[in-house]
Parts: sequence; structure tokens; C-alpha cells
Amino acid sequence: MTDAGLPVEMIGGVPVVTTPEEVDITNADGLRAALAQAAGHGAGTLVVDMSRTQFCDTAGLHSLVAAHKRAQAEGGQVLLVMGGAAVVRIFAITGLDGVIPHFASLEQALTQASSARPDAEA
Amino acid sequence: MTAQNQTPVEDRLRAIQSITDAALSRLDDHELLAELLDRTREALQADTAAVLLIDSSFGQLIATAAAGLEEEVRQGVRIPVGQGFAGRIAAERRPVILDHVDHSTVLNPILWTKGIRSMMGVPMVAGGQVVGVLHVGSLTARRFTSHDIDLLQLAADRAAAAVQSITTQADRVAAEALQRSLVPSALPAVRGAEMAARYIPGSGVVGGDWYDVFTLPSGELCVVMGDVAGSGLPAAVIMGRMRSALRAYALETKDPAEVLARLDRKMLHFEPNALATVLYAVIDPALDRMHVASAGHFPPVLAVPGRAAELANVPAGMLVGVLPGARRPVSTVKIPPGALLCFFTDGLVERPGEVIDDGLARLCRVIAAELPDVVCSAVMGALIGSEPARDDVALLVMRRQPQAADPRD
Repeated sequence: MTDAGLPVEMIGGVPVVTTPEEVDITNADGLRAALAQAAGHGAGTLVVDMSRTQFCDTAGLHSLVAAHKRAQAEGGQVLLVMGGAAVVRIFAITGLDGVIPHFASLEQALTQASSARPDAEA
Repeated sequence: MTAQNQTPVEDRLRAIQSITDAALSRLDDHELLAELLDRTREALQADTAAVLLIDSSFGQLIATAAAGLEEEVRQGVRIPVGQGFAGRIAAERRPVILDHVDHSTVLNPILWTKGIRSMMGVPMVAGGQVVGVLHVGSLTARRFTSHDIDLLQLAADRAAAAVQSITTQADRVAAEALQRSLVPSALPAVRGAEMAARYIPGSGVVGGDWYDVFTLPSGELCVVMGDVAGSGLPAAVIMGRMRSALRAYALETKDPAEVLARLDRKMLHFEPNALATVLYAVIDPALDRMHVASAGHFPPVLAVPGRAAELANVPAGMLVGVLPGARRPVSTVKIPPGALLCFFTDGLVERPGEVIDDGLARLCRVIAAELPDVVCSAVMGALIGSEPARDDVALLVMRRQPQAADPRD
């Protein structure tokens, strides 16, 4: 992977960023760049699929919180597909599990993303 | 004209050689940049050459080195990324050629008042990031070719590596100096308490871990453990600000949750991009109870004599820098005589490929209510060993002195 960071996939009009097995200081900038790119694609709402992720340190959380704040400012949401046990634990300790909406599967997150879109309600 | 008398291939090889010359690598990085600009100017038969470096905190390019255009550096020229000639190169990460230089194409008046007619610039990329822009100019009208661009890019790659080495080194020295000045040089002497601490920077970079221990005028002993997300100088600077702010709020109120709430409000307003974990504990003057609140930080380990060590019961609380108005629970932990508390940052227990609980369990297993210095050594030995730590590690151990068996002694 180049410095462009992680790929951003569009699924049913919703940008999805899939995080690698480990998110730490060595790749958190790549995640940040991918999340910024994803934010530019959708209507402010994006999905971060962490289901493959087994480790996430403060640097990774920093990128996610930055994306969450930006999405909120733009009237959107960051929706998270929760990662492995270690990720669940770090989200609980940091209180982020109460701030960033999270789901057990990508399907659930995508359903939430589509229902949150203003054009879907019309 | 010399260029026309030589074959283009020979000419080009000579030019490339002058830029990749081994002699350059023996210069220190500052000299290398100056020498590289001279050689670039010569190789491309240009009249001016300049390097502008990105200051990411301001989103600006700053003129840093120049040949034939020294006033750019002396006047401290700054160009917003995305604007003007150099700003566009940095934003779009691609070469730009200007056949016509005036106020409509170039932001910096020095360039056109100098009489530069044509310009060409390329991005300087190091470690996947644009660190600056290298450009050359001609006082006579000229069409720069794709060969010229290739040659300039070669010089820019060289310059980018040099610049990264300069900034990394300068940042590391500054961050280490700052870190040293912020970690307490000596732990306070408190009657009835024994303390020991360790701090080791992560491999290669200094991070934003800090600890602090101080007493309040009313006799409470306060312990702070924090971890600012990020590394290097930016994280160390934020850490310094948080440490000072927390000390100030500690003097205003004894409620640890209120201290964290004020710190959070200050950070959200003045450093909206910062994120940190902080644990703040206020220990009663008698050292028998600790009132503690956590902002996304691990609870301390509590070791009571005769019992296995375990994580103190401190409920999770929101990180600093996320949610305005977040309230964190305060818990009160009893500290029996001889009991020991071990405060730490995540670098001690987080290992890729393992659940944090495994690291926490390993930590609890090596901690006993013994002399703090002995406990520190045992913890570092068992959890860090001889491998360089990937993240910063801060560790602070406090023991309430065991009471003498007979109080009349």
C-alpha cells in the first residue's frame, strides 16, 4: 500500500473504510487520510469496518475521534463495525463506546447509514 | 553555450552525477541543502533555486534555503499551501512549470520583482508526506522540459531526505529536552509514603506520556498519569500544557472529576485536535484513601499485603478531547497500611496480537506490596525486558508505609 493509505470502498452509496489487523502509530496517519477521503465521498456519514482489527492504540483512536468530530460538524456520523476483544476493551476503557455508534456487523452499520441519509427518508 | 556543445546524454549524466555525488553525503544536513541548491542551479543552468518547507501546524510553506534568491529566506516568505505557485505544487503533489511569471501565477512578489521569467517546481516527498517544494527560476524566458523536471525531482528527493533528517533530529532533541523538564526530577518527600518511578521513551520517538506527583496546600498527595495521542514534539508540547493546566485546576478543587472536567473544557477549546487519557488521584493526607477519576486511562493496580494484586475498582470515564460536558465518576479506594498502588501508561501492557487483559494480568502477577523501587524493577523486567518498547512507558509506584507492629515503638 502506498502513502495514499487504506482504500475507501463505496457500498450502496456509503463510503466504507476497512481497518487492518493492527492500528497503531505506524499506520494511524494512513487511516486518518482514508477517513478524510471517505468523508468527502458520502453525505457526511461513513462506516469504519474494524471487524478484522485485533489491536488499536491511542494513535488509532485519535484518527477515529477526529473523523467522528468532523462527521458531527457536517451533520453526519461515523458508524463503527466493532473489532476483536482487545478493541472492544479499549473502547470501553476510553468511554468511546458511548460516543461512536457501533455495530456487530457491516450489514447492520450499512442499514443504519442508509436510514440516516436524508434522501432515504424522503 | 556549453549545453549545446555536449551531447544531451553526456550532459544529463554529468548533471545527475553532480546531484547524487557521494561527496554530498559527507556534508551535514544544513550544508547539504545549500550545496544541493547550488548544484541544482548549475545542472539545470537556472538562475535561482529555493527550498520551501511545510509548517504543518500553520498549513504554510516557509522559505528555508535559497541560491540566487537569498532575500526569500531573509524576509521569511510564507506561502499558504494550495495557493500560488509553490502552494499548488505542495497541495497537488505534482510538478508545475510556469512559462510566464507575474502576480497572477505567483504569490510571492520577490519572484517577479527579481525579474524571473520562467519557473519550474516539484514537491519534496519523504516518508509518504510532502515536506516541501523545490523550485528553480530563469531570468530569461525559457521552456523547461520533462527532462528538466526529472532532474529537479532527483534533487528534490535528495533534499527531502536531508530535510527529514534535520527536522527529525531537531524535533527529537527538543521533545526529549521538554519531556525531561516535565517529568518530576525528584518525587516529593511525603511522610508515610514511599515512591519510585520509571519513564522510558518509545523506540525512536518520544511520545506524550507523562506522570506528575505533587502535594496540595491542605496536605493531599496528588498523582497524575497521562498519555497524549501522537508523538514527537507536538505531543510533548501538548503534554506540557496539560500538565500545567491540571496542576492549576488541582489547586482550585479537590474533586478529581471536576479537575478533569475543567482540563477537558480547556483542551476542547484551545487544542481541539488533541486527544489524551488522564488518570487523576487525590490521596487523603492520612494516606488511607484515594479519590480517583479516569479519563479513558487504565486504573492503577492495588496490592494489599497478603492478597493478590488486582486492578483498583475505578470506573471508565471519557477521554479528554472528545465530548464537551462529559462527566466522569469518582471512586474512592481504601489504602490499608503497607498497601501499594502502581500507576502506569498503556505502553506497559499493550502488545500487538494479544488482548490487553493478558498484559494487565501479567502486570498484576509481578506486583506485590513491597518496596516501590523493587516493584518498579520487577515490573520493568517482566513486562519490558530487553526489547525496546514500541510506545512510551511511564510507571509510578507508591506504597503506604507498613505500620510498626507495636505503635509504642
